[in-house]
Amino acid sequence: MAHMIERHRHIIDFTLATLLRRKGKNGGLLLVYTLIIFVLASVLFFTEAIRREAMLVLQESPEIIVQRTQAGRYQTVPMSWCAGIGSINGVGSAQPRLWGYHYDRTRLANYTFMVPAQDPPGAGHVDLGGAVARMLGAATGDTVAFQGHDGAPRAFTVRKVLEQESQLLTADLVLISEQDYRLFSGVPADQATDLVLQVRNPREYATIVEKITRMHHDARPILRSEILRTYDAVFSWRSGLMLVIFSAATLAFLIFAWDKATGLSAEERAEIGILKAVGWDTSDILLLKFWEGTAISLTAFLAGTILAYLHVFHTSASLFAPVLKGWSTLYPSFRLPPLLDFQQVVTLFILTVVPYTITTIVPSWRAATIDPDAVMR
Amino acid sequence: MAGQLRSGLALLIALIIVGAALASAGSLQPHTVGPKDKCPVCGMFVAKFPGFAAEIRFGDGSSVHFDGAKDMFKYYLYLSRYAPGRKTADIGAVFVTDYYDLTKVNGLSAYYVMGSDVYGPMGRELIPFGSESKARDFRNDHRGTRIIRLRDVTPTLLNQLD
Repeated sequence: MAHMIERHRHIIDFTLATLLRRKGKNGGLLLVYTLIIFVLASVLFFTEAIRREAMLVLQESPEIIVQRTQAGRYQTVPMSWCAGIGSINGVGSAQPRLWGYHYDRTRLANYTFMVPAQDPPGAGHVDLGGAVARMLGAATGDTVAFQGHDGAPRAFTVRKVLEQESQLLTADLVLISEQDYRLFSGVPADQATDLVLQVRNPREYATIVEKITRMHHDARPILRSEILRTYDAVFSWRSGLMLVIFSAATLAFLIFAWDKATGLSAEERAEIGILKAVGWDTSDILLLKFWEGTAISLTAFLAGTILAYLHVFHTSASLFAPVLKGWSTLYPSFRLPPLLDFQQVVTLFILTVVPYTITTIVPSWRAATIDPDAVMR
Repeated sequence: MAGQLRSGLALLIALIIVGAALASAGSLQPHTVGPKDKCPVCGMFVAKFPGFAAEIRFGDGSSVHFDGAKDMFKYYLYLSRYAPGRKTADIGAVFVTDYYDLTKVNGLSAYYVMGSDVYGPMGRELIPFGSESKARDFRNDHRGTRIIRLRDVTPTLLNQLD
């Protein structure tokens, strides 16, 4: 056992010395390889993180949302719809919601105003999301002012600042009481932004949607699964776009690997010949080449993955955020909760390190089995 | 001293009786389906299909879970085949899952819709409802053929569903 470890140690020692002898070539290879893994890992981490963020948001979302459209545009929903829709079999409850967007002209930011169903702030009070509080420089107990729909500024006292697991959910949020919101936004007392339905049996979704549209021809019911599908499609499309942009780098790497796989340079063949002449076994040479491939690919993998992690979770993917986050203007700044999916890292490893290591061994094996005299000549 | 002992004994007996009464009342609540519970008729895991789960509770507190009302009725009608030694009189309660609310309702008084376009894990199903109005709505929405009660379920009818 000790002998075997010694043998591997010496061969690794020799491998590293060999790699250092060709600094330029191996350094270039390492750089391209690291870049490829960095890009792949960044895209993977980022899309996964933002998808998880979105799922976190949608987990709490109701099974069916009912909106009203007029001439294809959203309109407020009459509160009187609640009773009719709530009486449909299979609908557990139908609740009106009040919410909307507000553009702050002085700070050039969008806020989401919402009347929470549970624990709403009292009249004259608001709860602020983390990003909004930062932007306004407000803390609990301070007074903030927003310009209402009629142009008149309205002052509110900050009840608390929301700090939650999901920043995407609360960053731009302003929670307000129903009475204040109606005055602020001008939504009449008998109207709501939309209705949310709780439905116990998922098999009934289609029937309920059909009944709602039959009941109100201008209703637009939206299923949670539809929202999920849209999110998924958007993120898949964006990450695909990312990969296309970097496909040139991927192609360069493929050519590099292909070059490696199809043959060795005359210099490397001569080296193998000399090693065989001085008494190395074919198995020793294969081991040498295996460690060479492993050293390069593992270094590139670890460096690429760590760089991607720092890039995505510490700088909020600053390099490709403009492409991946379409709505980045909505959120002045938000950081993704760092979380690594072990399975994803393993997949990345298997897709990059393993094929590379194998491609370096095959040609060496072919060279190592030929007579050393013929190789050196 | 003896009086104290006697009143203490009486209290103990009273407690036992109340406890037993509470226990028997408690046993009329449906059990939750465990991940290992299999339908004794078809052998499928019941926990995978909570929307159709049914349950038969025996007087001794033991219970069996089914992945649909149809299999529950098969067990109920052929009790001697599936549970030798048990009699229909041993059955304490029957629970089925209301299609709309997904809550457990009394299977003995429930309304079942036949021939609808809703299929359970075992194919054509008897879809249970706690009230007749719900059953009627469901029959209209899902092209059901008829609404039946427990007493209408016969082996011939179950054969039609298979």
